[in-house]
Amino acid sequence: MADEKDELVPQKQSLFDVTADDILDNALRNLDEKQSRDVTKKAADEVVRIAVEKRMAEHRAEAAQEEMRNLVHNANLLDQRGGDYEINSTFETATGTTQVQIRRSKSASGLLIAAAIGLVILLIILITLIIRA
Amino acid sequence: MPGEFVALLLLMLLASVPAILRKHKFKSPVVHRRPDADMVKVVLDLEPKALEDLFTLYRKEFGAEAARYARRTYSKWKSGEVRPNRQTFNRFLVHLPSVMSFDLKCEVLRKLRQEYCAGDDYQLTVDTRSWREDVAPLVEEVVNKSYTARLPMYVERKLRWLAAEDMKLAHSILAESQARESRNALFLLEREFDNIERLLRATGGRGEVTHTVRLPLGTITLTVERRMMT
Repeated sequence: MADEKDELVPQKQSLFDVTADDILDNALRNLDEKQSRDVTKKAADEVVRIAVEKRMAEHRAEAAQEEMRNLVHNANLLDQRGGDYEINSTFETATGTTQVQIRRSKSASGLLIAAAIGLVILLIILITLIIRA
Repeated sequence: MPGEFVALLLLMLLASVPAILRKHKFKSPVVHRRPDADMVKVVLDLEPKALEDLFTLYRKEFGAEAARYARRTYSKWKSGEVRPNRQTFNRFLVHLPSVMSFDLKCEVLRKLRQEYCAGDDYQLTVDTRSWREDVAPLVEEVVNKSYTARLPMYVERKLRWLAAEDMKLAHSILAESQARESRNALFLLEREFDNIERLLRATGGRGEVTHTVRLPLGTITLTVERRMMT
């Protein structure tokens, strides 16, 4: 009776439940010796490549940090000289590129202040007119 | 009354615009109108060493004259000035893979994955303190994409060698590799944001920074704002 019960239990899972690991295991089993060696070597090479890439990225980050420090120094020098300026720089960094724009526009900020003062005066005149009316 | 309602509606719409612009995903419109020619271009974009191996193999298989022509026309094929014909496609992507080393086939596959599986570009505005909350989920999305990405059906149909057992494993190796590269980028961003924060602090409001993170299967463009200490 116990044996009959055991027979009723499905011995294998459905084919539709095949996982990615099953597919990989199957692919590995079907390789010949040379292919197995090639695949194993490639996997190891990739680990090394990623480690090297990471180290190189860290060096790029260091170089970018130094370049950014120089950029700030140059902007400060331009500040001391006075006048308007705009600096655009692009840095190759660890993960991609950083674009920096530093600018100072005294004339633009002066115009902005003048416009704001004009607006306030206009408002005061309008309010005065409304109150008198 | 309806005028006030419309005005209120407009005001609400205007208020929501910055939130929409803060984070946006763009799907790059990669259109391959000449699939065969484009596949040849992808192969010709291999790294120098792999490309040299490819041309050496080309010479061995098709002779010195054909190899000379291929080297001469290489830059024109790559730029699109000359369109590779069916014979060129067959030579590079049907015949040569049968004699390529596994390593070289993997490099071709890597290029194909970069060309056909990438394409998501994200653009968002972040600040120097809480950037991680916005960027980490996007990187995770790109990491997941590394595992799930598949080449288009027409590419798989044309390049039958990709269906071989060893190439299935190559797919898995490259997927894992690209996922790790993306995770590494998130780790490296920590330091980059320290640099950016320092730069923005030193320029005292005069600086504007845009950082583009290039991942194997996607690009994230970040407009960085400095958050003041509270």
